[in-house]
Amino acid sequence: MPPSIHPVDLISALRQKHLTPAIVFLTSRRACDEAMEAFDHANFVLPSVRQDAIAKALERVMAQHPSIAEHPLIPIVQRIGVAAHHAGHLPTWKIAVEELMRQGHLDAVFATTTLAAGVDFPARTVVITQSSIRKSRDFTDLTAGEVQQIAGRAGRRGKDHVGFAVITPSPYIDLSVLTKGLTGQPEAIDSQFTISYPMVLNLLKAHPHEHIQGILAKSFAQFQLNQRAEVLEQKLDALHIKMEPFGPRVCTDWITQWHTFDHARRHRHTRHPTYRTEPPEIAARLPFLTPGRVVGFSRGRGIVLRQYRSKGQRNSMLTVLRLESAVTECPVTSVKEVYDRTYDCPETSAYPWCSTDTFDRLSHQLDELPLRLPLLPILVSTDGEPLPDAVVQSLEDFPCPTCSSRSACQKDFLTASRLRQEQQRHTKSIQALRTSLWHRFQERVEVLQKFGYLTLTTQLTAEGEWARLIRIDHSLLITELIRAEAFTGADPSLLAGILASLAHDDDRPGAFPRITPGLSSLLGQVRKLAESLSPYEDPPLLRADVAALVERWVADPSLTWIGLCRLTTMAEGDIYRLLARTLEYLSQVQTLKTTHPGLAESAAHAITLIRRGVLEELP
Amino acid sequence: MTTDELEKLLAQQPVAVLHRLARGRVQRHFRAGKRRLIELLLQHSSQNRAGFESDLLTLIGERQSGPTPGSSRRPGAPPGAHKHVAPRSSDTEPSDPPVSLTEWLQGLGVPAPQPFVQDPWQVEALAAVSETDVVISVPTGSGKTYVAIEAARRAMEDNRSVIYTSPLKALSNTKYAEFSKIFGPDKVGILTGDRQENGQAPLLVMTTEILRNLLYDAASGEIDVRLDTLGLVILDESQYLADPERGVVWEETIIFCPSQARLLLLSASIGNPQDIADWLTSIRATPCRLVRHSKRTVPLRAGYLHPNGRLTPLFRTLGIPQGHPGHLHPEAKHLFIEYEEETLPSGRARR
Ligand SMILES: Nc1ncnc2c1ncn2[C@@H]1O[C@H](COP(=O)(O)OP(=O)(O)OP(=O)(O)O)[C@@H](O)[C@H]1O
Ligand SMILES: [Mg+2]
Repeated sequence: MPPSIHPVDLISALRQKHLTPAIVFLTSRRACDEAMEAFDHANFVLPSVRQDAIAKALERVMAQHPSIAEHPLIPIVQRIGVAAHHAGHLPTWKIAVEELMRQGHLDAVFATTTLAAGVDFPARTVVITQSSIRKSRDFTDLTAGEVQQIAGRAGRRGKDHVGFAVITPSPYIDLSVLTKGLTGQPEAIDSQFTISYPMVLNLLKAHPHEHIQGILAKSFAQFQLNQRAEVLEQKLDALHIKMEPFGPRVCTDWITQWHTFDHARRHRHTRHPTYRTEPPEIAARLPFLTPGRVVGFSRGRGIVLRQYRSKGQRNSMLTVLRLESAVTECPVTSVKEVYDRTYDCPETSAYPWCSTDTFDRLSHQLDELPLRLPLLPILVSTDGEPLPDAVVQSLEDFPCPTCSSRSACQKDFLTASRLRQEQQRHTKSIQALRTSLWHRFQERVEVLQKFGYLTLTTQLTAEGEWARLIRIDHSLLITELIRAEAFTGADPSLLAGILASLAHDDDRPGAFPRITPGLSSLLGQVRKLAESLSPYEDPPLLRADVAALVERWVADPSLTWIGLCRLTTMAEGDIYRLLARTLEYLSQVQTLKTTHPGLAESAAHAITLIRRGVLEELP
Repeated sequence: MTTDELEKLLAQQPVAVLHRLARGRVQRHFRAGKRRLIELLLQHSSQNRAGFESDLLTLIGERQSGPTPGSSRRPGAPPGAHKHVAPRSSDTEPSDPPVSLTEWLQGLGVPAPQPFVQDPWQVEALAAVSETDVVISVPTGSGKTYVAIEAARRAMEDNRSVIYTSPLKALSNTKYAEFSKIFGPDKVGILTGDRQENGQAPLLVMTTEILRNLLYDAASGEIDVRLDTLGLVILDESQYLADPERGVVWEETIIFCPSQARLLLLSASIGNPQDIADWLTSIRATPCRLVRHSKRTVPLRAGYLHPNGRLTPLFRTLGIPQGHPGHLHPEAKHLFIEYEEETLPSGRARR
């Protein structure tokens, strides 16, 4: 079995079942052309009445668009009543095919899926042969919207009771993509808003900087960002409710601190079991006398390096770093104050119980300590006895020990902190969603300031005033080229050639051997500048062959369309589109009449030179 | 997972899953057949087995439980979140017999000519557009052009000018010719980057980019007289809003569209037309009207044509079984399985 149906068999089958006229969507232009060639030797000829009708209809189109008169496909289209329609063809030829189709003279048209939206003519039947489509150099599955757009061409109002979408497999087809596409809902539209340099310049030309945020807020992008933010806000509300049982909201910032506090206490508790022999106020202190803790003695202050208990001694001992890097050993009882201040102090196993680096740092930190330090509130659990005044005072700064919800807090600490983290995350995301466009705008503003298109007060500079008129891709590169005087003295053909290489975004190969030295050196300059601008703007492909082709067309008015096509392997339709895009770019340069009269004139001249032959036939 | 198990699991997956797995792993994978693709994937996975397996399992999980791409949006759900069209379990085959080819082909032919009667949605849209902005989202071939033409006619009768934009130059040219025939050549003009034809005409056809540029020039003070009398802006094929490169132009155009002009957005079926209408309502002077329906005027039937020339219905039902991609016609299913098996590149044992 062949991997896919032969085009002649396909059309015969459709005809036999009265499923014509049909549009057959194929993967590539080449597939369309090959399908047409497949009819070359087939015994597949229309009755002469229909052939004449096609000829007559074509004549009418030709009257308006003479360029198709010589089209090589005319004889075969006339003979078999089938045509190809794809981006490789001239627009005028496509108009002719569409016209034939609309008038019902054709049985089928082979078209590429890429142009499904541009195929603005219906048929009784649509034939689908693939489930993926080439998009920016890779194949991706058709979306439901695309499948429906393609299948939707089937069934002409007023000419058909029903339309037919026929799937015929080719290798690599995934039937489920198509069945899902046919039976499913089309995808939701997602905003693709981007902020370009010309957009920034034009906005700032017309509106003061402080109004821009409001304008960006009108975009569909912001509308959808707000929708997302609203969903998060709902989640945030739900979180607030969930967090209610976890004590008073105001103290939530203390939870983390309390956790550390508590952790230190517990941690030490296990390592240094307190003995009954120690009085309660000493026992309560022990968990806080960990390495790095600042403590006060009757004379001066110190930083705890380690806590230990040596044989034969009733009390726990401390190794303390004192002023001037002195290290002393003292019993816990000699500590008068425990401050609410610790420093990082990883313990080591040998004297001085920390690394030399840490030791030096701590010595320094001890020297730098402020005169007044907050005391650490330490709750001494002696039943019935009132708390010492000093502790009560400092507890105002550190609410946990006396907080009524302390035990709940301790118990639910993990849950509460998870909720809290989630809350922070959502708040941050909402913030980002609400301001992301504005940030992106500001980023662009900074670049434009750096390059001198905007003043520091975001006014357009003299350069910005004209640069805002260049509203095409690679606008930064183009305006920088103009500023670097790259085009000064360049003749129209050179200017057109360079702009063509900027405008052309297709990587299909096309051969053109001869590149003039002038073009070559200018292209080199453009390439270098494009590279240096790459942090701010994606560099264009800068194909030398398309530049040369356009330069040639402009430089040599005697060159015919056929002659031009012979110079390259590019398809006619691609050459046409290349020239049309170049015209678009040139017309933007042409608007710089007042600031760059020479350049504008050169662009205007190039425009008139490009517009000849086929390029004159359509607006 | 052993290599054999992995291979078996891969073989059970539809080609689409394999392609998604291959993305970024295997170059030019889209040209390989299913068998070859599995080979390539296995080869590749030997280097990072864990990552590969977890990707595979995620993809399988997504297929089984995840959002179906073609489902409608819940109101208030974030863009991109979809709800299920139908849970898998309910997607069981119906018990009534599948349609026959004869039934499927019945009704084929040309209907008798009928006098032109506006569709109800066309009436609704035309009534609305005289008062406010309108978003139309209806299937391809429903007759959106008719609404555009009538709305333009009314605005012009009211001495207001009209701008019609399309995403493609080719479409602009077609519409320019069509409108010239309807309104007379002196009433219609076309604007391109470097050329104006009848630029002072009351109805101007252009691409959306050109209109965006016009609006920027108007905003910065280089007032174009036509914008004062502009009564209607028609944006055809507005689903281009989702185009990765050019979508932004539609947004800019809508944001800067003069407030006295009505906006008429014509779009093929899209998933969230209500969002578009709500957006317009939120930024424009008057609340936007949404006119939508998803029923095709000319009903559509789907068929399957085997490479050997055999034609069968694609689905069990005569029409398209909305929401039930699995309701395949048994014959089409059988033929397609046969096709897949036969086109697997040879050289490996077939299961
Ligand atoms: N009320 C009607 N009754 C009969 N035929 C109609 C009606 N309205 C429009 N038509 C016809 O329907 C056909 C399709 O219309 P049109 O091209 O406007 O579709 P569309 O919605 O723009 O589709 P697309 O998505 O392809 O752009 C045209 O031939 C048109 O004359
Ligand atoms: Mg249309």
